[in-house]
Amino acid sequence: MNLSGSSKSSPNKKQRIGFSVWRDPPASGGWNMAADEAIARRSEETNSVLMRLYGWHPHTVSLGSFQRYVDFSETPELSHWPVVRRPSGGGAIIHGTDLTYGLAVPGSHDWSRGTEKLYAAVHGALVEELSERHLSAYMVEAPGRETEQNFYCFNRRAFGDLVVEHAAAGSSHGNHKILGSAQRRLSGVVLQHGSLLLHRNPHIQGVGSHLGLGDVLPAGSGSVNEVVDGWLQRLADRLHGELIAETGPSYVKENKDIITRTERYESTAWLQRR
Amino acid sequence: MEKSRRYAKSHEWARLEDDGSVTVGISAYAVEALTDLVFMQLPDVGATVTAGESFGEIESVKAVSDLYAPISGTVVAANTDLPSQLETLGSDPYGSGWVVRVQPDSVEQLEALMDQEAYDKLIGGE
Repeated sequence: MNLSGSSKSSPNKKQRIGFSVWRDPPASGGWNMAADEAIARRSEETNSVLMRLYGWHPHTVSLGSFQRYVDFSETPELSHWPVVRRPSGGGAIIHGTDLTYGLAVPGSHDWSRGTEKLYAAVHGALVEELSERHLSAYMVEAPGRETEQNFYCFNRRAFGDLVVEHAAAGSSHGNHKILGSAQRRLSGVVLQHGSLLLHRNPHIQGVGSHLGLGDVLPAGSGSVNEVVDGWLQRLADRLHGELIAETGPSYVKENKDIITRTERYESTAWLQRR
Repeated sequence: MEKSRRYAKSHEWARLEDDGSVTVGISAYAVEALTDLVFMQLPDVGATVTAGESFGEIESVKAVSDLYAPISGTVVAANTDLPSQLETLGSDPYGSGWVVRVQPDSVEQLEALMDQEAYDKLIGGE
């Protein structure tokens, strides 16, 4: 298994590593998973850190790599939702009012070593940004095992999850998880997926309904977009990298590799593999 | 061929048995690094595996990782108790925590793997 990356040489520490970020248009679940896999392979080939930010159209449920399909299909409130299985682990996420990221780190980079460094970097950068904006946030350190197996990602509490403290009219007082991530450790590259809840999804009720960043951000603290921009810059600083805001999508629609990967993610064999 | 454990760079170990099969498992170092294992997928008996390619998956609370075959051959046994007793990987990684037994295409493949000393150097540098 890939615990510490490939045998490629590490970049010179004095040389600022490129950190390319694309803001891709909303796409289907299968396409998004395939496009993430594509940047992971490109990250390995180019020995660079690459990130996609994207939404979902239509709104879609994603399952963790090993979650049971029946746990989705037997959840009545989700029966009409499109669904996809991620290559990464973790719990189910209802996408549509979140900002999802796919971050690919080559095996030569220090962040690919172990699982915790990458979480600490990505989530820690957002904790800093939120604290700057007077929103109390922290990363979970030692969760109870019981919550780790909850069906929904945002009902779980695992190491590194980003939680904010908030009390507002109409919502429960307390700690709200707004960012959760999970990794797929491939040969020579680590792909980390994460979902930042932006707003409560109006199309879901009950235990699958959660507050988002925009619901808890104090007045006068800036917009959600400004928070995301600040988060990315802090992440680039932690990387000692140069943030490159790429224009246009990270792919071309005719890319045969992504089309083939999409077909696999949309296949029943993959979706119902467990 | 010496019947001590050999290791792949990807942290799987392989040991030649008296019957000519090769037992494959995950090193203690890797199990500790993965932490909090929650699920494991094994290959079926009869499946062919190829050195350096994925033959299974393992999930910890925060990451899914592929298991890479240290040698090529055919799976002749899988430790089907393991997925429901993942703690065994940590408590006895070189014994009851074995993962699969493979009938190798050739035992010479083991010579390409690291011996204990080389593997200790590898993990010492990680």
